[in-house]
Parts: sequence; structure tokens; C-alpha cells
Amino acid sequence: MSRIGVFVCWCGENIARTVDVVQVAEASLQFPGVKHAAHYKYMCSEPGQSLIRDKILADRLDGIVVASCSPHMHLKTFRGAAQAAGLNPYLVEIANIREHCSWVHQDKAKATAKAIDLVRMAVAKVRRNNALQAIKVPVTKRALIIGAGVAGIQAALDIADAGYEVVLVEREPSVGGKMAGLSETFPTMDCSQCILTPRMVDVGQHPRIKLYTCAEVESVDGYVGNFKATIRQKARFVDIKKCTGCGECWNACPQKKIASEFDYGMGNRRAIYIPFPQAVPARPAIDKQACLKLKKGVCGICAKKCAAGAINYADQDQLLEEPIGAIIVATGYQLYQISAQQPTAELSGYGEYGYGQYKDVIDALQFERLVSASGPTGGVIQRPSDGKEPKHVVFISCVGSRDNAKGISYCSKICCMYTAKHTMLYKHKVHDGQAHVFYMDIRSGGKNYDEFVRRAIEQDHARYYRGRVSKITEENGKLIVRGADTLAGTPVTIEADLVVLASAMRPATGSDDLARKLRIGYDQNGFLSESHPKLRPVETNSAGILICGACHAPKDIPESVAQASAAAGKVLVMFSHKEMQRDPEIAKINESTCSACFACVRTCPYQAAEKADVRDRAGNLVKRTARINQGLCMGCGTCVAVCPSKSADLEGFSDQQIYAMVESLL
Amino acid sequence: MSAHPTGVFEPKVIAYVCNWCTYLGADLAGTSRLEYPANVRIVRLPCTGRIDFNLLIKGFEVGADAILVSGCHPGDCHYTSGNFHARRRWILFRQLLDTMGFDMNRIHFAWISAAEGKKFQHVLTDIVEQTRRMGPYAAYSKICEEVSC
Amino acid sequence: MLEQKLRQTCRELLANGTVKVIIGYGAAPAGQATRAVFITTPEGVEQLVWNDRCEANLVAYLKRPEVRALGKPAIVVKACDERALVVLQQEAQLERANVFVIGMACDGIGAPREAKCRSCEDQVPRFCDVVLGEVTKPADAASARWDELAEFMKKSPEERMAYWQQELARCVKCYACRQVCPLCYCQRCIVDKNRPTVISTSPSLKGNFAWHVTRAFHLAARCAGCDACTRACPVGINLRLLNQSMAKATEENFQCRPGTDPQAQPLIGNYATGDKEEFIR
Repeated sequence: MSRIGVFVCWCGENIARTVDVVQVAEASLQFPGVKHAAHYKYMCSEPGQSLIRDKILADRLDGIVVASCSPHMHLKTFRGAAQAAGLNPYLVEIANIREHCSWVHQDKAKATAKAIDLVRMAVAKVRRNNALQAIKVPVTKRALIIGAGVAGIQAALDIADAGYEVVLVEREPSVGGKMAGLSETFPTMDCSQCILTPRMVDVGQHPRIKLYTCAEVESVDGYVGNFKATIRQKARFVDIKKCTGCGECWNACPQKKIASEFDYGMGNRRAIYIPFPQAVPARPAIDKQACLKLKKGVCGICAKKCAAGAINYADQDQLLEEPIGAIIVATGYQLYQISAQQPTAELSGYGEYGYGQYKDVIDALQFERLVSASGPTGGVIQRPSDGKEPKHVVFISCVGSRDNAKGISYCSKICCMYTAKHTMLYKHKVHDGQAHVFYMDIRSGGKNYDEFVRRAIEQDHARYYRGRVSKITEENGKLIVRGADTLAGTPVTIEADLVVLASAMRPATGSDDLARKLRIGYDQNGFLSESHPKLRPVETNSAGILICGACHAPKDIPESVAQASAAAGKVLVMFSHKEMQRDPEIAKINESTCSACFACVRTCPYQAAEKADVRDRAGNLVKRTARINQGLCMGCGTCVAVCPSKSADLEGFSDQQIYAMVESLL
Repeated sequence: MSAHPTGVFEPKVIAYVCNWCTYLGADLAGTSRLEYPANVRIVRLPCTGRIDFNLLIKGFEVGADAILVSGCHPGDCHYTSGNFHARRRWILFRQLLDTMGFDMNRIHFAWISAAEGKKFQHVLTDIVEQTRRMGPYAAYSKICEEVSC
Repeated sequence: MLEQKLRQTCRELLANGTVKVIIGYGAAPAGQATRAVFITTPEGVEQLVWNDRCEANLVAYLKRPEVRALGKPAIVVKACDERALVVLQQEAQLERANVFVIGMACDGIGAPREAKCRSCEDQVPRFCDVVLGEVTKPADAASARWDELAEFMKKSPEERMAYWQQELARCVKCYACRQVCPLCYCQRCIVDKNRPTVISTSPSLKGNFAWHVTRAFHLAARCAGCDACTRACPVGINLRLLNQSMAKATEENFQCRPGTDPQAQPLIGNYATGDKEEFIR
């Protein structure tokens, strides 16, 4: 019955050199259902495609096989050609006779025989293809953005400015993320807060941004265009609607010596606090671990001081639901812990650097606070142990990064640049001081980046030693740094006053949990996985969920911002349509044969297989069955393999198609 | 394909591979021009999770001398967990085949990522050469030829 | 006497309306296995028997529409049968509250005692509404469970295939093994599916191999080990070997004995990142 057309591509010489394309075309005419076979030099070119289109129309072909390169290369192209000629695009199959044949075999006879087999399989398959229609689903035009660091802020503003509502969820009491705590930024040395805080204010005031702080995403149900996010608003103990942010409460709080998270322990805060003066919202939160009222039932001074009556010691976590169409994950990073103790068994620390043991060994983010004008020392560089101005500071790069022995094989990418920046910031404040840098390589690719590093070395006279530090010890108030200069071939010992460790970037805590909730992938290091490293860099493999910023991989501010805008752009593309189209190559259940064992429901990685009732017109239960939620199914077909009665099947890779392919090899 | 003009036994190998890792690994072997024997016929499926055990039996029924099942490394599954589900089934299924006396040297499993064109080449070459040494899977083809009993 | 106690229990269940039907064992001519009886009146309980020829796994009747139509049942089970009941529960085939389960402590069945009973690890049902009787003949050491399989696996693969070739040549595809299995409840069996034909239905060795591989694997990590299939086979194929092979692999690889924990998730359809993979290159 079928009228299949076979189109064999020469790919110039690429295929024709090792595969006898004429013989392949002739042989395919013998396969059941083949009406027409042709060969041409470049099937993907316009004349090639028009040859296909013409033949579809002339011979009323009801399926085509293109024997050419990988389907990953040109399946879309040929589907488009088919569609242009009025043939359903899902009635197209590719026989991969280039990557899987002509390019990997030398013997022309064998390669040709194989190519004929590959075409035979594709013909057997395409005869059983179904004409499919793209699945249309409605779109809720609201975006959820998880994480309000610079990436999340950028994406939120882009989407909100385009006219759509944004729900922005941040687990800290303020937006701003890591960037809010940085001093100045490479390579322009502009002040981090000066560029970020206006955008934070925009986020706080934007009529279309609904901001949740002290909040986390509890769960996400539904599917692209139609998610339902449940957000846990954690107890803040301050009603931010009543609060005016006057500051009476935190100024009166007797708990003065709580290590500030924002200052990475370099400074203190109260039990009721705003993390930093420019916080958005400029409303305090109570730390329930530190508050005397909440811990012991005594004190209560803040409530007495609060004229607005905003303090609520009985506050509790609340779960709030938000309808959402698309999700952007921008959960950022944390620094690798340098001390010997590590959060996971795969990682090990640097006991030999004495971090946590010697007060004057600090990490890069702590140094940022030390040089920041808004920091605990007001930007005066004082070492933590005795407040003295350090005259020799050693910076060590690649602490954790690129060190398989410590469990992190990747490069954290930004450390070379910020270490150069640190040496300059230091030199600009301590003119008679000397910065020393131990490095493995200097990686300064980027606009004006290498020039920046040269400036640190040539103008600000930072001393760079290519080599590792083996040990740091403390003697008479000095840190003795023992390392090597491998270029000079000599050991180096520096008596330092302060040591700054550029420790590796790791995904923020809990990002793997979040990834599991969202059913998106993450790599062995915990960074979230993009759908394609080149062509789909901000998409994930779950439709409607995008990623940006350092949760994806170590990256600097410009890259995070660019990626955030890219993710926002993808969301806006989605929101520009009334309905969304989804790939129809998804699973289906034959409900009349389904026995409702729900093996598919247990197995489905996307919770797309659901339990359902079949009822008659009167509403009586006829039977139970599994059913595929078309919005959620990603088409993996795992349900098909676990279905004992083969009631589950997968469009595009149905049992009929696959068995026919295999049986064609008999 | 079973008889080559030279008279050397050419084994028939069927490879069930996932679309996102091993298929792309085979593509990479192609773009890198990594040569391997022309005996393999690849069946592309979206995920190793889609590969059901009946397909392995079907492979032997159509005269495969060896079968390869291959997909993404654990943790790399395009669909997050299809390969984990598949792995669990294979653990049990291999035991069943072994009990029934199938030749376990003809059933191969491999994780081959999209970046492992070389591994694809090595695994395929190895399987074809090993199968060539073992000869045709006569034991099972005899079973399949038997018409009535 | 235990049989009297069983009848009394069932009489009460029917009389007070707890259940509509008792699925139990009824008398059979001397030397034959008992048969299933379906008793709907209190007077009818006199038909119930309990002896060492109560071989059938009555749980298999629960899947039958005509049995379901009788109303809420009470069912008489041995410990092995009960495991099938638990698996049905895990697979959403059974609301436990909709069945009254009468467990019988079991000394083993068959004359002579069946091989599986000699190494039985269950004997006393665990999740029943009522358990009657006591074990008087404990099973032998559990290690004996795999003896038959271990002996079989000493053969070479060629010998094993030759064995199955010989055995399965006798298979007439009557599907008795499927019909008596409490866990073969698919409304449309895979073997009855065409388009595509997954399993060749022709009476050939090819189709017989495909069928028995499929049957055994569909029961992998589910089989309760009641041996109903082996008893039902009219040509005497030792299906028990295949079931045992799966049971042993399930236990060794996943520390799982199917049907012994109603709270457990079914093994297939779940995974652990640490599942072993030394066979994967």
C-alpha cells in the first residue's frame, strides 16, 4: 500500500567515495513499499530539497527515507522539505549512511552492503510511522525565577519590563546574591554595589515582580506553560508590610555578636537584622537560632521598640501556590570549603593551608568584604587576627579547582581574574605592601581581561610565582608560606601577614535537591546541565525550565548577566505565543488493554504517566488505567519497556516501527 | 551479509543505542573518521530506558550473532534516569538468559557517551572480532529454524 | 481440629456479612489435589477442607471477573500464596481492605512434599486478617532453597540451552502457566498482541523460547514462588527453575524477596544509583 520515496545523498564525495550510491538507490527499489528511489549530490541543498518536494507531489509519496548524514544533522531539514510539499513531517526517516557508514568504513563493497541494510531498516520503519500533529498547550504567562543574585535580577527585570509577571524567589532575607558583597569588579574596577543596588531597587519596586525573600521553592508540579509552584515562605517574624525599615529594632537588639553571613564571618550582626544596609526589601528578619525571645522566651525588646507593630514572634512558615508558565533557575554558587572537613565524601580539603586554624588565612569572598567600603572594616585592610595592616599578602589560586586529588577537576574560571583584581585593590590601599600570587596557569580570556592581569603585574608589581604552595605554618605572628616557583626551579618561602585562598566555585547548597524537584539534570559536580552545550545553552532537558548564571558552571558577572538575558529571551519567545507547540513524539497508553499495574507511573522520570479512571457516561467507574500527560512527557519511552502488556507505546519509536526495523534484518 | 566473497565469516551485530549518548558517540566516531568493522546495524531509540528485553530476543531471532545495548553513563541520561531503570532490568535479565543457556559472550552492555567516539570504535571492533572468533550463533539459529515441535 | 476451626471462621464471616464469598479448598477424590470452591452461604462451609493437597494458589482467582462479581471475598492462603497477594497490593491490583485473608500455617503441600516446601522460608503467613494453625514440620535449612538451581547451573551454557530446547519443544502453548499465575493479570497478554507480534505464536521452538523468556522475566522480582505454573504445566516443563533463577538474582542483587513487605516499592520501576554494573563496559 505504501508509496515510499528513497533519496540517497552523495554528500559530495563524503558518502559517494565509499558507498555506491547508485547501487543503494537501485537496491532500495526492491524493498516492500518503495515507489521511487533517487540519488543526488547534495540532498540538503536547495536543488536536492526541491527534488524531494517535487517527487512527493508527483508520485504522491506517503513517506520518505533520506539516506544521508546523521538525523541529528538534517532530520529537521528534511522534515521541513516534506512539510513544504504537504507531507506530514513525521513521515520522514533518515538512514545515516555518512557518520555511521561511509566515514567509518573503507571497503566499498561492505560499506555499500551496510548502507543498503540501513536504508532497508529505515524503509521498514517509515512504513509504520504515524502522521503526527504538534501538541498544543496553553501558556500561563508568568515566570518563576529561583535565586535573586545578579542573574536572577537581570532575568526578572527583562521579563517584567517586557510586560509579563515574574515571581522571584530568594532564600536569603535580601536580593543581591554574591555580587552585593563584592568590592569592585574586574576588569573595569567599578564598584559592585554601585552597579547592582539600583537594579535591586528596581526589582523591589517593579509592579510586575512579585518578590519572595526568606523563601524557597518547595515543589513544582505540572508542565511547560502550566506549572504550579509551591513556595515556602519561611517565618521571618517581621511583617514586612507593616515594617517601615526604621532600624529601631536592630539598633536595640542586645544580641550583638552574631557572625554576619553577608560578611562571611568577618563582621557581626544582631539577632534581628538586615543583611546589609542596601538590602531589598529593606526589612529585617529575625534569626531564630540567635533570638533570645524565640529561644528562651525572654527579651522582646524589638517588639517594644517597633512603633509599627511589625514584630510577630508567632510567625510560621507558609506554603503559597503560584501558577507559572516558565521557570528560570539562577541559584548561583558557593565557595568550596577549604578546611579538611568536607560536605561530601567525594571532596577532600586542604588541611595543610590552615584555613579555619589560622585567623589570617581567609578565602576570596572574605577578602572582598575586607576591601569593600561597606565591609566590616570600612574598606581599611586590616588582618583579622590583630587588626594590623598586612605588608605581605599571599594569594593562592586554584585552591580546590583543577585538583583531581581534592575531587574537583574543573577550572573555576574567575579566580585568575579576581586574584589579579585583589592584588591591585590591595596595592591601591597599602602602597608599601607587596602582593604575591601562586598560580598554575593564568587564564584571562575575555575582553580587556589579559590587559588587566598585565596591569596587576606591571603597574602594581604583584609578584607571580608559577607553582603550588605545599604548606602554611604560623610563626611569631607571621604566616610562613612554603611553595615553589617552577619557572625559576626554586623553592619559595614567604613570610606573609595575610593569605587569601581563591577557592573553587561549587553549585549553591541544595541545588541538586532543587534539580531533582524540577526534574532537570546536573553533572557529577552538581552544576545544572544545559540541553546542548552549544545550541541550547540556557535550556534544560525539561521543557520550559531554563538555567543561567553560576548554577550552570563557574562564570563571571558579564557572562551570568548575558546568560540571564538569554534565558529571559527564551521565556519571552514562549510567552509571545498564545499556545505552545510540543514535539508529538511522546508516549501513549492503550487504555483498553492497560491493566493499571502502574509500572509506568513508578518509572516515568517526568511523572507524566498518571493514574486515571475511565468512567461511563453516567460517571460509573469502568476501569482504572494509566494515562500520559502530554504536557509532561518528554518521549524517553521508559514506560514502554516496563509495560508488561505493551499497552504503552511511543510515537516515533513505536514497537511496530522498531520491530519492523529489526525484522527487516532477517 | 553473512557470507563475504572472501569466505570469511562476517558476524551480524545489532546495536540498540540511545539517541543522545551512544548514537552521538557513533556520530562522533564518524566525524573523527574512526574506522571499525562494517558489521554493526544500529537501532536508534530515544533512551536505554526504551529498550525492552524482547528486543534482545528478537535480535537473536533475526540471526544476530551478537547484540550490543548501549546508552548514556549513569547520571548523564538525557531523561535523567532512563538508564538507571534499564540497568536494573539488565541485571536480572542477564541472569535469566544465562539460566536458559544463552551465550553470554554474545550479549554486550556499554555506557558510551556522546564524547566517546573512540570508545564506540573500540567496543564495536572488539565485539565484532570476538564474535568472528566464536563463529555464527548456531545454537540459537537452530532453535529459530525449527518449524514445528 | 484445624479444618473445623477454618469452617467455623468462614461460617461466621458469611453469617455476619463480613464477606460475600469464601474462596477455599474443597474435597477431591483420594490421591488428587483439592479444588477451589466458592462458598456463598454459611451452610456451604462444610465443603471446606484443609490438608496437604491444598496445592493451588487461590489468589489467582481474584483476577477473574466472575469471581469479583460475587462480592467481597475471604480467601484461604498459605504463606507463599500470601506473597502473591502482597505483590498484587503493591501493583495496585488489590485494595487490601476489600479482601479478608485467612492465613493457614503450612507444613508443606504435596504427596510427597513438594521440593519448594522442603526449603520453605515462609510457612506462617504474616499479613493476614486471621492465621489458623501452627507449623508442626519446620522446613529444612534455607540454604537448600537453591540446590536444584545450583545443580542445574553446573551444566555448561550449551547443555543448558540443549536442556531447554528439549523441554520447550514439548510446550504446546496452552498458557496454563499463565492462567494459574496470580500475578499474570494483564487484561491483554503480550503474547496476544499483534502489530507487532513480539512473541511468535506459531508452535515453534522460536516462539516457545520467546514466550518462556517473557513469562519468566515478567515475573522477575515479583514471583511469589508458589510453583502453581510448574504444577499446571501439562507436559511437565520445569518452570520452577526459571522462576528460581530470577528469585535468586533478585535476592542476591537487591536483597529483595518479593511479596514479603507490603510497604516496599516494587523493584522494577525503581532504581538505585548504586545498582551494580560490573557487566557494563
